[in-house]
Amino acid sequence: MTRADPPTGSRGEISRRELFASFLKIGLLGFGGVMPLARRVLVDERRLLTDREFAEMIGMCQVLPGPNVVNLSVILGARWQGPVGSLLALTGILFVPVIAVLVLATFYASIAHAPVARSAIGAASAAAAGLILGTAFRLLTGARPPMRGLLLGVAVFVAVGVLQAPLLWVLAVAVPLGVALEWWASR
Amino acid sequence: MSASPDVLWEIAWRFASLSLLAIGGINALLPEIHRVAVDMEGWMTSAEFADLFALAQLAPGPNAMVISLLGWKVAGIAGAFVATIAACGPSSLLCFFAMRGLERMRNGKTRAVLQRALAPVAIGLILASGYTLARAADRSPGALLLTVAATAAIAFTRVNPVWILAAAAAAGVAGVA
Repeated sequence: MTRADPPTGSRGEISRRELFASFLKIGLLGFGGVMPLARRVLVDERRLLTDREFAEMIGMCQVLPGPNVVNLSVILGARWQGPVGSLLALTGILFVPVIAVLVLATFYASIAHAPVARSAIGAASAAAAGLILGTAFRLLTGARPPMRGLLLGVAVFVAVGVLQAPLLWVLAVAVPLGVALEWWASR
Repeated sequence: MSASPDVLWEIAWRFASLSLLAIGGINALLPEIHRVAVDMEGWMTSAEFADLFALAQLAPGPNAMVISLLGWKVAGIAGAFVATIAACGPSSLLCFFAMRGLERMRNGKTRAVLQRALAPVAIGLILASGYTLARAADRSPGALLLTVAATAAIAFTRVNPVWILAAAAAAGVAGVA
């Protein structure tokens, strides 16, 4: 398998060690959303990508299913070190943090029944719902979809959130509809 | 919490079958995962689901960590790894094989159309996730207040979410929720 051309404005060859170290850092220090940290590590600190390349990568990840940062690891790992690179990046960003999460989970299991812990966790989970709602609001104001997109988004919300319809069916309707609307609008 | 192979297979196929539906990432999948894990499989209660989501936000790592925690809840450490691999494996493979094609249409119209079409779908799904979590979490007036406050903090400030959760937990201990 041949590697893609090295990105412009960055080092041509990135070693496996550096690849793994970069994604490990992103995975282990990324509290409260890893994307801002990914940009800082890859673009500002290690200069492996330019700002523009990073933005393009994110755009690419957004049209693929799966966690954006996981897809980013697959793409950059493959670009710099082939399939092994993808696995290294995934290990750094996914499997090492899993161990950290499991340590936290074990701690949680040991305190979960104490009344004080109950109040703390219950309150945190109420706030965690707000994290997602706030994120949706930010995405909405950032994307500023036209009326057709807005209606599609509301329909998806009602179907999945309120009516609790199976996701597969909703996507089977919403995705082709969205693509058809945008394709027609862009002609 | 000993993990039988049957349970692990169940976890594997449930999460693997959701992997390619994760438009907008794991945070877009939460209503579907809630439907499967709480309503269909009975792996946990709605409140436990909300707790585990909050816990995942307090840990480092990508959003996908909530999947690891749900797997852990069902089948311990093996469950955590099986769930994580199942949820991220198919989408990662697709990404690996599709990226060359996507790079070729880097500035092309096709990708722009696709991006504009998928953005509202993803936003609708993420909103549904927030709604699902808000319903799953405690539903006292205090809890509702915390949900609203956290929403506003994320929407209008740049404060790290971890601090928002820590503040909420402290408020919970102080008796707000």
